[in-house]
Amino acid sequence: MPLITRLFLKAGLVFLFFSLITGIFIQVEFISIPIFHALFWHMLMLGWITQIIMGVSLWMFPGRIREESFSNQKWLWITFGFLNSGLLLRIIAEPFIQSSTHMIWKILLISSAILQLIAIGAYLIEIWPRVKGKKKRSKKQKKESA
Amino acid sequence: MPKVSVWMIRMSFLYLIFGVCIGTFLLISKSLHVASFAWNLLPIHIEFLIFGWIIQFTLGTAYWILPRYLKTKGRGKSLPAIMMVVLLNMGIVLLVISALNPDYSFLGVIGRSFQLLAVILFIKLHWQRIVSYSRAK
Repeated sequence: MPLITRLFLKAGLVFLFFSLITGIFIQVEFISIPIFHALFWHMLMLGWITQIIMGVSLWMFPGRIREESFSNQKWLWITFGFLNSGLLLRIIAEPFIQSSTHMIWKILLISSAILQLIAIGAYLIEIWPRVKGKKKRSKKQKKESA
Repeated sequence: MPKVSVWMIRMSFLYLIFGVCIGTFLLISKSLHVASFAWNLLPIHIEFLIFGWIIQFTLGTAYWILPRYLKTKGRGKSLPAIMMVVLLNMGIVLLVISALNPDYSFLGVIGRSFQLLAVILFIKLHWQRIVSYSRAK
């Protein structure tokens, strides 16, 4: 299993753990604040499920370059770095966005949104060409070997 | 990878990018309080990312990766598989229309029913493919 896949899976597990901690907070009335709902769902759906899908698809889908180097995997590292930093920024900033008037929380939240969007774009740049039928793949292989 | 899986996985990628674009817009609007209408897009954000992205991706990958039928070595009839893709995506589109326009709220029920039919087709196509080769021998 490539290093980047292992990182995606382990980061996914960490987010699953923290999403369930947040889920417990939601259930306890005196700790719960409304923003926990958004954080719970995003840690679960983006931090856990989406990250697991990304890690496994990058590993299992055909067309993976086996040699692990930054130049071969730059889109994957951008995806991993931006997705996780974007999600972390959101977790830090979102609880303060309504209670504080400081501009910093707004900037952090907007940055988190943009980082996550770039991460998804980078993932699609890497994975889109790898989703193709057998015929197209074998045609491409023939062209490359000729 | 079979064509049905290629379509489903590529469609799921499109829903992913559009869903995340809506999410980005929602977060920016939340930070700057610029567009009050933004929250009307929340049901579309959820629909795109849960049904369009996660569910469609997993169904498409399962169609490709689960063991083929033991006797015919295929993935079953292609028409139900194509219908599954069409119904799932029509369901998502109808739900988006109903979320955007309350006059068409009845489309939500039709959309969800289409998705249910798609899932029934998926189950029908895959039930016999969930096997252990060693037990079959």
